Amino acid sequence: MDADSMLNLVETIIDNEELQEALRRATAHAFESVKKILASNPQLMEMAREVKEAKERVLSHLDHYISMTVKKLEERKALVYLASSAAEARGIIGDIVGSGKTIVLSKSMSAEEIGLRRFLESRGNRVYETDLGQFLVQLEEGKPMHVTAPAVHMTKEKIAELVAEKLGANLSRQSSPEEIVAVVRRFLRKQFVNADIGISGANAIAADTGSIVILENEGNIRLVTGLPEKHIVVAGVEKIVPNLILAVKTAIVQAAFAGLYPPTYINIISGPSSTGDIEHKRVYGAHGPRELHVILLDNGRRKALSDERLREILRCVRCGRCLFECPVWGHLANHWGGNTYGGPMGILWTAVVEDKREAYPLTLLCLQCKRCSQVCPMSIPLAELIHDLRKEYVTKAYT
Amino acid sequence: MKVGDIIRYIVENTLETGFPVPAPRDVAYRWALNRNIPRRGRVYLYTGALYQLVPYIDASVKSMERFGRLPGLGKAARLLSRTRLTGIAIRPRRELIEWSERVVASIASLAVRNVEGLAYLYEDDRYSGVLLYEIGAEDAFLKHASRVYAALKERGVEKLITIDPHTTYVMRDIYPKFIDGYDIDVVNYLEVMKDHQASRVLKGKVTIHDPCLYARTLNILEEPRRLLASLGYEIAEAKRSRENTYCCGGPVEAFSPKLSLAIARDRLRELASTATTIVTLCPICYLSLSRARENMSLNITIKDIAELLG
Repeated sequence: MDADSMLNLVETIIDNEELQEALRRATAHAFESVKKILASNPQLMEMAREVKEAKERVLSHLDHYISMTVKKLEERKALVYLASSAAEARGIIGDIVGSGKTIVLSKSMSAEEIGLRRFLESRGNRVYETDLGQFLVQLEEGKPMHVTAPAVHMTKEKIAELVAEKLGANLSRQSSPEEIVAVVRRFLRKQFVNADIGISGANAIAADTGSIVILENEGNIRLVTGLPEKHIVVAGVEKIVPNLILAVKTAIVQAAFAGLYPPTYINIISGPSSTGDIEHKRVYGAHGPRELHVILLDNGRRKALSDERLREILRCVRCGRCLFECPVWGHLANHWGGNTYGGPMGILWTAVVEDKREAYPLTLLCLQCKRCSQVCPMSIPLAELIHDLRKEYVTKAYT
Repeated sequence: MKVGDIIRYIVENTLETGFPVPAPRDVAYRWALNRNIPRRGRVYLYTGALYQLVPYIDASVKSMERFGRLPGLGKAARLLSRTRLTGIAIRPRRELIEWSERVVASIASLAVRNVEGLAYLYEDDRYSGVLLYEIGAEDAFLKHASRVYAALKERGVEKLITIDPHTTYVMRDIYPKFIDGYDIDVVNYLEVMKDHQASRVLKGKVTIHDPCLYARTLNILEEPRRLLASLGYEIAEAKRSRENTYCCGGPVEAFSPKLSLAIARDRLRELASTATTIVTLCPICYLSLSRARENMSLNITIKDIAELLG
C-alpha cells in the first residue's frame, strides 16, 4: 500500500465505531494484566534478559544453530525441510499434504505469513483454524489484527453475529462469550477427530534436543499436534534457541508479556509418537502422530541478518506487547501493517518477510513516543528502527 | 493532502524561510522586545521558536483539515513570509499567539532569575529544524542545522538554555551526531530552576502530562514535580505518567490530523479523570490537548507549567 492510500484508509478506520470500541476494550485490559504479572513476578525480567542473550547468540551463528537443529530433529525421527521463501514452504507443505484432506491448524503467524490456509484450500483441502480468534478471522475472511489476539478488532456482539451467520448457530448480539465459545467448541471438536493432518507453529525450537516448544491456553494445540496422523510444524529459523531450558523460558517470557501468565499449557514435542511396548521394538505412530515434519522458514530472515539495524527485530518473541502499548496501533490495529504483521514490531517484520518498500509508508504514522521500545522484553529499539526506515524512505522517495 | 506534498512543504518552508510553516520573520523574538534581556553573555536562552510557532502550526493543520490543502504551498508561501504578509495566507488564532508569547516571556523571566548573566539571541534565536529530523528528511535537516549552528557559533555561544522537549532533544542529542566538532552545552530551563522559597500556600491539585521526550529520553521527570510541589501544588499522577506517559498524538498531526486527534482525546480523558488542572511541559502537547478539548465537554483547565511557576 502506498502512503496516500494508507492515510485514506486511516480515515475510514477511525470512523469505524465498532472497531474503535473493540480496541478500546482490549487495550485497557491488556495494559493492566501485563503490569500486574510483571509486578508480582520480578524473576520474569531476568528470564527475559537471559532469553535475549540466547537469541543474540543464535543470531550471531545462525547457520551453525540451524544445522545443529536439523541434525537433532532428524535424530528424533522428524523430517526436516529448509524453505528459503514463502513459495518454497508452500510447495513443501503442499507435497506433504496432497489434496482432499481435512486439516486442523493452530494459530501460526508463520503459516499466515506464507498464506498457507488459502493455499491448502485452493488445492482441494478442508482447512480449519482452531485457535478461537484465528477461527473468527477465518470466518470473517480477514487477517489477524494482533499477533497473539487475532480477533482483537471484533466486539463480543460482532463475534456473536458472525458465528451465528457462518455456523448457523442460535446466537444473538446479546449472547455471552461462554455461549459463543461453546458453539465453536462443538463445531471444531468434529474437525479435530476427523483431521488427517495437524499444522502448528512453534514458540521456540531447542537446538540441543530438536524439541518444538508451543505455548497455548485454549487446548487446541494439544489436539492439533496430538490427534492427526501427521503433524507439520512451520516456524521461522529465528525461533531456534540453544537448548530446551531456554526454549521453555522463551515460551514463558512470551506468555507473560502477552499478559497470560502462567500459560495454561506448554507443549514439548520431540519427534513423532512411538511405543516400545511390544517386544521392545520401537514402533512410530502410537496414539499421537506417526510423522512429524518440520519446515524451517527463512523468507527474508537471513538477509535481514546482514542489515546491521533491521537484524534486531529477529530477537522478537512476538508477545505483541508493543502493539497494546502503542497509541497508534490502539486505533488502527494491524490495518497499520503489512500482509501479516502490524504495529511497531509488525512494521519491522514486514520489512523482513515482505520488502522494505512495503514497510516504508507505515513508518510515517509512528509517533516516536518510544513506549514500544520501553516495554519490549527483548530490548529491541523498535521506535529507533522505525525511524531509520522512515529516514531511508523519505530520503529516497521525497527529497 | 498527498504525503509527498506535506513533506516537501515542510522541507521547502524550512530551507527557504527558516520555519516549517509560514510565519512572520520576527515570530521567534517578538515577545522579547522591550524586555531588556542582554544581547551578549556566556549563556544564552534559546527557545528554538517552537512555542512561538504553535499558532502557525495550528493554522496550517486546520487549513489541511478544512480545505484539504496547506496554506500558501510553495512559491506563494515563500513570497508571503518574505513580505511578512503571512497573516493573509493563514489565520493563526489570536489567543494562541497571546498564550505562546506569554508562556515564553514567563519562562524567560524564570530563566533570567535562575541563571546568572543570561543573555538572549534575538534574531539568532532560530528554529532548530527538529521537525525535519523527526519526519526523516535528514539531508534537509543537516543543511538547516548547519546554518543554525553557524549562527550560534558566530554569536560565540557556549551554552544554551532550552525551553521545550523537542528543541532540547535535538540540540543535545541530535546536533552532535550531524555536526562535526559540535561543542555547545545544552541545558533545559527546568534543570536549572531552584525551588520556590515562597510560603507554601496550598494551591490545589494538578496532574502533569509528561512529554514523551522528557520521560523516556531526557529524564526530566522530577524537576517539574519538585517545582510545583514547592509552590504548594498537590500532584496527582495519571494512570500512565512519568516514564510510562502516554503520547498527546501531536507528532502524527502533519500526516493524519484525525488519528492525532483520536489519540489526544484518549489522553485527555485519562488526564481529566485525574485532576481538573492539567499541566503541560511542551507546546505541541498543549496544542494537541487543547484541540482535543474543543469537542469534549470537560470541566478542566490546561496550563503550561510556566503559567504556574511564573
